[in-house]
Amino acid sequence: MNKISTRQLCFFLAAIVPVGKIVLLPTNLIYYSKNNLLFPAAMNIILQAGIVFLVLLLAKENRSLYELISDKLGKVTAKIILTVFSIFFFYAAFMPLLEQKILVQGIFYDTLPSILAFSSFFAFSAYLCAKPLSSLGRTWDILAPLSIVAFIGIFFLSIGSADFGALAPALQSGAGEIFRGFAFNMGWFLDSAILLSFLGKIDYQKGLPWKGLISYLAGGAAVLFFLAIFYGVFQETAINQEFAFSKIAKYFPGIETLGRIDFIFVYSLSLVMAFYAILPLQAGIDLLQQSYGKAEKRLLPALLSIAVNIVMLVLTLLFDHRYISLNFLINQDLFWIFPIFCLLLPALMLLFKIRRHREPQ
Amino acid sequence: MQNITGTLKTDREALKKLLPAEDILEFPFTSENGCEFICMFTDPITDKELLGQLVARPLFRYDGDKSAEEIGKRLAFPEQRKEKSLDKLAEEILAGNPVLLWEGMDEGLIVGTKKVFIRAVAEPPTDVTIKGPREGFIEDVKVNTSLVRRRLKTGELKIEYLKVGRRSQTFVAVCYLEGTSVQKVVDEVKEKLNRIDIDIIPDSSYLARFLSSRPESLMKQVGTTEKPDIFCAKIAEGRVGILVDGSPIALTVPYLIVEDFQSSEDYYVPSYRATFTRLIRLFALIVAIYLPAFYVAAQIFKLQLFPIKLLLTIAGSIRDLPFSPSLEMLLVLIVLEILNEASIRMPKYVGMALSVVGALVLGETAVSAGFVSTPAIIIIAFSGIGLYAVPNLIEETSVIRLVMLLVAGSVGTYGIILATGFIIFYLVTTDTFGSPLVAPFSPVIGKDLKDSLVKYNLASLDTRPVSLGSKNKRRLRHE
Amino acid sequence: MNRNKFIRTLKTIPIKLWLILAAIIAFSFLSNDFGLVDVQKTAIVLAAGIDRNQEKGYTLTAQIAVPKGVDRTTGGTSSVEFVAEGETIADCVSDIYCKTGWVPKFIFCNLIILGEDTAKEGNVFDAFDFFLRNEYMSDGCFVAVCQGSAQDLLSSESAIDDTSSMAITKLFSDANVKSGKSMKMSLREFAIGYYGATKSGYMPYIVQHKQETNASSGGSGQQQGESQPKEQKIYCAERTALFSEGKQVALLDPDDTFAFSLIEGNVFTGYLLAEEDGKPVSLTVLKDEGSVSLDTKGAPKVTVKVELTVRLFNRSVPSDIDDVSSNEVSDELKENAQKVVREEVERVFETSRQNGCDLFKLNQTLYRSSLKKYEEFKDTLLSAVPVTYEIDIKTAK
Repeated sequence: MNKISTRQLCFFLAAIVPVGKIVLLPTNLIYYSKNNLLFPAAMNIILQAGIVFLVLLLAKENRSLYELISDKLGKVTAKIILTVFSIFFFYAAFMPLLEQKILVQGIFYDTLPSILAFSSFFAFSAYLCAKPLSSLGRTWDILAPLSIVAFIGIFFLSIGSADFGALAPALQSGAGEIFRGFAFNMGWFLDSAILLSFLGKIDYQKGLPWKGLISYLAGGAAVLFFLAIFYGVFQETAINQEFAFSKIAKYFPGIETLGRIDFIFVYSLSLVMAFYAILPLQAGIDLLQQSYGKAEKRLLPALLSIAVNIVMLVLTLLFDHRYISLNFLINQDLFWIFPIFCLLLPALMLLFKIRRHREPQ
Repeated sequence: MQNITGTLKTDREALKKLLPAEDILEFPFTSENGCEFICMFTDPITDKELLGQLVARPLFRYDGDKSAEEIGKRLAFPEQRKEKSLDKLAEEILAGNPVLLWEGMDEGLIVGTKKVFIRAVAEPPTDVTIKGPREGFIEDVKVNTSLVRRRLKTGELKIEYLKVGRRSQTFVAVCYLEGTSVQKVVDEVKEKLNRIDIDIIPDSSYLARFLSSRPESLMKQVGTTEKPDIFCAKIAEGRVGILVDGSPIALTVPYLIVEDFQSSEDYYVPSYRATFTRLIRLFALIVAIYLPAFYVAAQIFKLQLFPIKLLLTIAGSIRDLPFSPSLEMLLVLIVLEILNEASIRMPKYVGMALSVVGALVLGETAVSAGFVSTPAIIIIAFSGIGLYAVPNLIEETSVIRLVMLLVAGSVGTYGIILATGFIIFYLVTTDTFGSPLVAPFSPVIGKDLKDSLVKYNLASLDTRPVSLGSKNKRRLRHE
Repeated sequence: MNRNKFIRTLKTIPIKLWLILAAIIAFSFLSNDFGLVDVQKTAIVLAAGIDRNQEKGYTLTAQIAVPKGVDRTTGGTSSVEFVAEGETIADCVSDIYCKTGWVPKFIFCNLIILGEDTAKEGNVFDAFDFFLRNEYMSDGCFVAVCQGSAQDLLSSESAIDDTSSMAITKLFSDANVKSGKSMKMSLREFAIGYYGATKSGYMPYIVQHKQETNASSGGSGQQQGESQPKEQKIYCAERTALFSEGKQVALLDPDDTFAFSLIEGNVFTGYLLAEEDGKPVSLTVLKDEGSVSLDTKGAPKVTVKVELTVRLFNRSVPSDIDDVSSNEVSDELKENAQKVVREEVERVFETSRQNGCDLFKLNQTLYRSSLKKYEEFKDTLLSAVPVTYEIDIKTAK
């Protein structure tokens, strides 16, 4: 499969990444930051955009993460680091998966369905995880326009119901609320870490880091706009409105006569979301493949994919009704894991690059 | 390999041994100078009248030299050649070309008086156009190549003949424009064709399977057309065309899925009309695939997909039905497929009766009897019509529709979403002869989008599709 | 097992997995049971009526749509009302399930009616709690209070539709709201008001009136051609119930409701009644620019502004043809109209203020403009804020 082009990567950052942030993140932000939800979200977006820029600078090397680390620290260290990263990805994947599960139960069914209904997701996930990560580039070519159209559709249908005045008074309730909103929602911003697994699979062209940065910020702007509309529509009751994107458009006056036309956009975003939710698992499997497998052999990722997805299915079954406590555990009590893997380590990878270039001097 | 000996009796017996079939006849005669000839031919496929007039009659009165050259001149028949190998001679006899042997001659003379059964060039029934050429390919490869040659009067058009099929020895013509088609694709096609070791090739669709890199794939990987104008247009874009003797359906590679949303007529009507019809085809196809599935999923899992008034109408219609919504839809779909299958193969006069039976008896009566509901019939009818908006994809889309229905009935709308995700991933990761199947949408190729689901004015389509990888990029030069 | 055989076995695994997946899908398709409820097992609840029940907590009246079957020669929607009692609304819902065997689904529930007692006694959010928590219910549904019990209202036979709830929701159409004769309120908006700084809200108040008609003129389950007098109802939502902290605290009469509509800026082609020479004259409102603004510089001050553009629509006396063609509004009529509007607007504001209902979201406005001032004035704002009324009526030229 061809490498991921600049356009495909920009599509990913601008149109695929935002869909992962419109399900439970809005209510989580409101829980900690109330009407100031835009500020912690913006802080996370800006920080991630910076790290995305740094990671894309590394893409110039045209080397995989494993190669980059093993060049400097040896193969054993590289294997250890990549394995740790993989474990982090499987850990970080769990919340998006649970998020998907309750989303599916909430918006695809009229009554609470059996957990088996969500199991089909893992069949899809197992299939995708067994495929090379680079094959996602072309998928983004199809999904990104779909996502953009769906976002525009949802904005159009919902903006009329929004009272943006509800976002006021801004910044008057203290920095603590905003900081908590920022820190305890880092789990939804894995993007720069995920990009690490794409290293070596990107067809680097001049200006890629800048294009990536702008794309990420554009996607971030869409998320912020979405959050503003969401809070404008639900105001004080917003904290209760999980699966934000599936709800904000239903108050459009035409829905009464046409039926739920907003579902066209909601389902389109759900399709994109299914791909995005699997991404941490794919990234984790790809890093293990880089460390322990051979590039041309697909047996290891296939076996890993089946194993990982079975484990995830079992965990989902086990924690079926413990979403809230898990959310507190992963995103609040253990929140510090995310800045390490999503901010610190990706930024440190750049140091390898700089040192490597200075060596010949 | 056995060769002609020059002894008439021995050679005749050797050929008879190779061709023991009863329809292999021999016609012995002696010329005025006493030379004995034997003409061996296959009875039903040799033009005996031509053989008598152009071969036997001149040789009866022949009293000249017995050399092949002299006898050949006497025949004054352009299509003749000499051959020493008995095996090759036997092949020619089986192909309908008589072989002339005479005493003392260590070569056989092959005379091209094959009887050709061909139908007239006519409009293909599967690709009818209102505006535009109405010629269609027929079963004779020579006629078909002539139709191509008439449209591409350039020395760059190469037609290379290959024989495929151990027993059928079917002629396959590989057509391409030198310098425009990608040589790698040409070589790959020829290599794949040469590798085929099968006894017979009854139709070009056999070859399509062998040309596919993933023969078990859900999606076809070889384009097909029955129209020479489309065939030539595709070759001119840089594709490689394959004509197969005995088949009116020509193959083209690389195949892009977008081809099937284009019709030849799109290029003969204004661009806005062409764009509209292409979008309608896409819409019809989406509706055809998804409508039955969403209808079932909505009834079982997500009533909100219906507006309340429609829901109540549907609920009223399905009240007291003996089947679940999913089973009802599956049954109606199967009935549609049976009717479809039967009506295609039935003689026309029976077909008419069949559509009456299908429409009235199965539809109206089944609804009245309470076996199925009216909305289900309407949904399937709409879906059935929609599928034919893109006739070249019917095989694939009817399977996808069935899969979607099964998934919808078991997992619901989320199943449909995931199945769609799977299909998208599958399609975008499939390449045919180095070209992405879903190009120019994935990967996005801006220039090619001008002639995809939208169609720009012909004057804007100045380059060949980038996705085909042709080095000769420009097809239209502006002043 | 030798290596080649092992590789061959491995290669068949994907096919086997696909076959297993296909078998699972086929099985679940044919068994058709994921514990889910298809349309044939569903009770589609069109409206819910909630009354307080002295013994058991609540009485829930669920109006359930009844499909008409294949014979759809008659229009409208047939329905049947199920009444259930329980300690909570969820308890009532499960009672319906037990009694009918149908699973009640609220996804199409477009109206929640509160009985008079429910609205006046205690906080209505104890009843709304079920609906706010329910993921499978739209909070875009209308909410309203009714005179008497909600059960009576929903069980009554409408003169204009087969289903009472359908007839009631017609009152909340945009056209009706633009006439200024009634207000509409959704559960979401009401909840936002309650959980927000205002802690207040309003709902239309529905009254049913008797209408004598022949049975053959409407209704669903009637025999065609049969003609017997039957009591049918028409509904009216000209009054508006005001709520503070989830409890009904006041009722606006039809004139007040119209004034409230004018302040909200809702009215377009509504009719305003004033007097000229002691005779009633109707003016049509062509443009309504109503607003309530809160000046937060210094001590808060409220300005209630209503600016109307009107045209003469109907006199109750014969007029000469020049007057009919000119539709001119005299100064006297304009002044009278201005006076009428001012009185009504003042009454609405004072009614809401006196009953502790922050109808015009003053607290919300203050909260949004300054958190500090909100903390300072939140307890006294409504009762003590000075109000200026600016009423201006213009004539359409």
